[in-house]
Amino acid sequence: MKTRFIVLLALAGVVRPCQGAVDGIAYFEREIRPILVRHCYECHSTDSKVKGGLRLDSREGVEAGGDHGAILVKGDPEASRVIVAVRYQDGDLQMPPSNPLSREQVSKLEHWIAMGAPDPRISSRTNQGRLEGMSPSEGRRFWSFQPLASVGIPDRQSPFIQNSIDRFVLETLEEKQLRPASRADKTTLIRRVTQDLTGLPPTAGEITAFLSDESPNAFERVVERLLSSPHYGVRWGRHWLDVARYADSNGLDENIGFGNAWRYRDYVVQSFNDDKPYDQFLIEQLAGDLVPGANQETLTATGFLQLGPKVLAEPDVEKLQWDVIDEQLDTMGKTFLGMTFGCARCHDHKFDPIKQTDYYGLAAIFKGTRTFGGENMGAIKFWYEHSIASEEDKARLKEVDAELKNLNSAASAYKNKAVSRIRTEARANAVEYLVACTQFDSSMPLTDLARIAAPKALHPRILHHCRKHLEYHREDPFFADWHRYADEGKVEALRDHYASLFEKAEKALALARKEDAKMTSLKDEQLERARAALDDKAGFLAVPTVDADAFGEETLAEYFRLLAVARAFESTAPDAPALMGVGDGEVVDTVPLLIRGDWKRRGREVARAVPQVMRWNGEGPPFQRETSGRLELARWMVDPRHPLTARVMVNRLWGWHFGAGLVASTENFGVMGDRPSHPELLDWLARYFVQSGWSIKAMHRLILGSGTWQMASHHPKESEYQAMDPENRWLWKQNLRRLSAEQIRDSVLAVSGRLDRCLGGKTLPLRNRQFVFNHTSEDHTTYDSLRRAIYLPVIRNHLYPFFQQFDFPDPTMPTGVRQETVIAPQALVMLNDPLMLDSATALAETILGGHETFEDRLQAIYLRCLGRVPTKAEVERGGEFIGIVTARHSVRKAWALYGQGLFASNGFLYLK
Amino acid sequence: MTVLHPGYTRRRMLQTAAAGFGGMVLNALLASETNPQRAKQSQVPARARRMVFLFMKGGPSHVDTFDPKPLLDRDHGKPLPFDLPEVTFAKQGNLLKSPWTFHRHGASGLPVSELFPLTAQHIDDLCLLRSVHGTNPAHGGAALKLHTGSDQFVRPSFGSWITYGLGSENENLPAFITICPTLAHGGVNNWGAAFLPSHCQGTPIGNASQSASQVAVQHIANARTSAELQREQLKLITGFNRDFNDSTAPDPVLEGRLNSYELAFRMQASMPELQDFSGESRSIRKLYGIDDPVTEDFGRQCLMARRFLERGVRFVQVTHSDSHVQWDQHSNLYQGHTKNAAEVDRPIAGFLADLKARGLLEDTLVLWGGEFGRTPTVQGTDGRDHNPHGFSMWMAGGGVKGGFAYGATDDYGYYAAENKMHVHDLHATALHLLGLDHEQLTYRYAGRDFRLTDVEGRVAKAIVA
Repeated sequence: MKTRFIVLLALAGVVRPCQGAVDGIAYFEREIRPILVRHCYECHSTDSKVKGGLRLDSREGVEAGGDHGAILVKGDPEASRVIVAVRYQDGDLQMPPSNPLSREQVSKLEHWIAMGAPDPRISSRTNQGRLEGMSPSEGRRFWSFQPLASVGIPDRQSPFIQNSIDRFVLETLEEKQLRPASRADKTTLIRRVTQDLTGLPPTAGEITAFLSDESPNAFERVVERLLSSPHYGVRWGRHWLDVARYADSNGLDENIGFGNAWRYRDYVVQSFNDDKPYDQFLIEQLAGDLVPGANQETLTATGFLQLGPKVLAEPDVEKLQWDVIDEQLDTMGKTFLGMTFGCARCHDHKFDPIKQTDYYGLAAIFKGTRTFGGENMGAIKFWYEHSIASEEDKARLKEVDAELKNLNSAASAYKNKAVSRIRTEARANAVEYLVACTQFDSSMPLTDLARIAAPKALHPRILHHCRKHLEYHREDPFFADWHRYADEGKVEALRDHYASLFEKAEKALALARKEDAKMTSLKDEQLERARAALDDKAGFLAVPTVDADAFGEETLAEYFRLLAVARAFESTAPDAPALMGVGDGEVVDTVPLLIRGDWKRRGREVARAVPQVMRWNGEGPPFQRETSGRLELARWMVDPRHPLTARVMVNRLWGWHFGAGLVASTENFGVMGDRPSHPELLDWLARYFVQSGWSIKAMHRLILGSGTWQMASHHPKESEYQAMDPENRWLWKQNLRRLSAEQIRDSVLAVSGRLDRCLGGKTLPLRNRQFVFNHTSEDHTTYDSLRRAIYLPVIRNHLYPFFQQFDFPDPTMPTGVRQETVIAPQALVMLNDPLMLDSATALAETILGGHETFEDRLQAIYLRCLGRVPTKAEVERGGEFIGIVTARHSVRKAWALYGQGLFASNGFLYLK
Repeated sequence: MTVLHPGYTRRRMLQTAAAGFGGMVLNALLASETNPQRAKQSQVPARARRMVFLFMKGGPSHVDTFDPKPLLDRDHGKPLPFDLPEVTFAKQGNLLKSPWTFHRHGASGLPVSELFPLTAQHIDDLCLLRSVHGTNPAHGGAALKLHTGSDQFVRPSFGSWITYGLGSENENLPAFITICPTLAHGGVNNWGAAFLPSHCQGTPIGNASQSASQVAVQHIANARTSAELQREQLKLITGFNRDFNDSTAPDPVLEGRLNSYELAFRMQASMPELQDFSGESRSIRKLYGIDDPVTEDFGRQCLMARRFLERGVRFVQVTHSDSHVQWDQHSNLYQGHTKNAAEVDRPIAGFLADLKARGLLEDTLVLWGGEFGRTPTVQGTDGRDHNPHGFSMWMAGGGVKGGFAYGATDDYGYYAAENKMHVHDLHATALHLLGLDHEQLTYRYAGRDFRLTDVEGRVAKAIVA
């Protein structure tokens, strides 16, 4: 030890200290350093981890303290946090976390601090390897925070060019020495554009009309027709719902129905159909309750902030609030600004110029926003809703609630009666149960045990429990007798013993009740034990808690029927009309910065503000005292000078048209996101968007009208180009796209003539806040509706399996571009899902009913499913297949199998 | 196997790789030097090749099963002599002693309560973890934390991480199967792959509301078309797809879809066989308690699990649940735990015995437990509240010390006190046993390297044999 001390002194190069200090340092070396090394360094040293920002491997570290500030006061152990921690006095501050120090070690630390915490260690490295994001001023030089560039359109000539987009694309292609693919043929284009804008296949009539329209603006006319179809909003509204993480149930812990979410969904569809300017659309979603002239429509829009999953049963209300704010901030940031603000909850962003203070500046706005209502249902808190119920509605609701209560009570009364009947019977047979238990040991299977129960009409499950109960009560004075008799084989004595005890106890109780009707216990100790055993609902005659274990088939069926009646009533019962959204709560100017995001550790106060890096003129908007500040925030976001809002949205639109954005990471325009493949085009599009009055339909016309969008999805020099640009970032062809889950389903229904095109309204078969499933795991949601897929329930935690398999996005976070995976379960769906089988049958019937010859039928089925006529080879093979099947099965079966085969084919599932 | 075009990207590759259930393609791909995000080869020697999690939904009480507390008996009815946590799920009263007695078992002499007499016979193979603790006192949060490491964000399930890290050993079956999972409290997120490639997601077989004898993988059968006709149809589809693929550029995704139908067809054939126990002997059925209505359901789950594990499925979860409150005895602790233990004790004991007899136990890591334990204090008159602050789980096989108790709660069983093992530590330890370093098993998503254990996790090396 001594040698080591000297070496250390030499290394540290300190001047020779006076004697007292040497003693202190010797004490440190002998007693304290080993404690630190063994118990603290693992989490608090430069070489391993620096938890809580605290380094205990150098004097500077010890003196600097951690995120909470100082850990010790030299000379005063009682005032030192480190002593509180090692004494395990405070439930939230216990160190080391797993193994407390011994009493002796604690007192050594106390002594050391009392000495003034002498410490010879000098650190050679501090703060090294700590990852930090850019500063706001560096950040402003990063591409996405720079103002939108005012770019000139490149001067290019080529038959490829149809509008300005193509000039930018061509310029890049030429730089990379690539050439664009040729224009897709008209058959391909009509299918592509119809699916792109409406999510449905073109009808045979629409195909023929387009193919025969030779006019130069034939394609534009198709685009206009589709843009004015209400099904345009269904398709593009759904894109937005991906971003808005739309769902009809909460998910997370307590999965209860969002009975009013559908109003937000319909609002989105309508907004797209109306070509609502995007700036207005954004403001309504963030601050629709605060805009001048706020109305039902704008209040509904605030559902955007309310739709997130929440831990509704979280017992710590403050944690819940901060978690919800985090969810709102993160969603808002990703959706509108392509920023991952969530990362800055606990520390400055590790990559982006977003500081923790920026996070709390925004959080203060949401802290003043009301997301929860005052009510709750047990542990489950209610999210906020704007009520729009009239007095009449409320009166009607009272009736509905009363009726529901009646139905539920009918079920529970039936059950309680059945249980008490079983209990009474068991009580009457108490002795028989005890006697029967002598015939088997506690491990006998229930099937064998039932043979013992049957002759005496005992309930096998009660008998089973009774035997276990006896086993667990060997020491119980009342049941010890049973064991004694049973061990000696004296069954009759056992019977007499308990029969007489129970009889006497019953009599004594009846007698006692004559004197005092409320009497529940007996004075005699032994009789009281007998009474207690008989009356104990969880005792030796406990009725099984699981319905199916307790009741016979008939009783069970009747009870389940009553429950189903109540549930069916509830699922379709009207709710109080209300708009799921947010309002202003208790408005605050500042919130405390939470150290490491921990709501129990409050740091300095941070005022409402927008992130520093995005303040183009050095300042953000001023915030009014009276309101939360969401309106100011939203208006600031749609200021044409904002570097992100327009870029992020045009990139989304591009991504939905091409399958990949110009910035591939649609939710992340930060340092870890992708860089734009065509930065000038992106900025030009963003400016165009703002200048068009934020018109989304104008962007569709522009993009769809471009030669770029209209290119074929394969290229004559495919493999050469593939090697150079495998992801087609430079846009030398259109991407081959797989249909989305909704497109597959809706197209299958459409071509088989089964699709119900009705729009809007509540479609969730749950009342507001009704449990999707509680503990039961019984999900009663059905998906057999034939309406468009956007109207099928989106149940968090248990998505429609068809959606789940075909890459429907996780409805808990914003998704800009969906995945297009190929997994074997998709094949199982295509081969076996009744949706496919029923649709194929319907398709076969339509084809057979409408066409006589094989050739006509095949042509019709091809046109419907693939949007083209079959080739000669396809006709031949089709004939073979129909021949093979009809040899032993019906013609209808043959065509159904053939049609289903077409659904499952790449020609159906992919868009060229 | 598909010949991969050299120019294709990882994203495209992953899409294709996932067309198979196995991770063989994926592993080959991930191992390639050109892929910067490959699952890193671990330096940790693997002690287990596969894992099974016996999940007791609702939160079994540790002080009534594997963590006896003599002081709890002594001080029954008295107040807890130290502070309750700042936030509790429900209102709690005074100390409540266990209604059950503990007996010592095996050479190790470790005590187990009379609720688990048969499992107790395997005590010398069990490694009791008596100091597990989590952070969330609600079912949803705690179940998500246990399954995914996060109660706030949607993150991959630990079965998905293991699948991602190790791939599958069977090309015709999913690498991660969850039998009769509960849909409540996290639901699909408890077996979801989140941002990991989709082949890492758990394949559910039924759910907790269904009887184990009735469950099947979704869409695994077609009641209307015979296998023979379906074969014809498959040929037809293959023909369509070959034509289509010839008309486009060579694309591994399209090739992948071609193969996916073949694989689906093979899975369709192999799944029912796996769930069919007619080939199992009477003594095996008895061992798992399939002949007894009390134990049948969980017994079937366990036997199915053994059959999957035997065929190279990497991670299997079975869930003991029912349509009521499961192990969640806020009241009626005595009756509820009596019933629950009776349903699982024999199947668990049988499962362990069977694994051992087949030589599978040594490289199969078995984990038992719920999302939290229960309080030593009473709720109402005869229940116990949720307790995430200290509870017991156990492991067996897979390189852990048998007949060993790791860590401890305080004298009454409220807080983890010695060798505390946070859920993150549990994850780190399980990965370690499977040969995966929890700090190196990362996946880059949205610009960040994600880990199962986030920035936490310590391997409890003391439990490794």
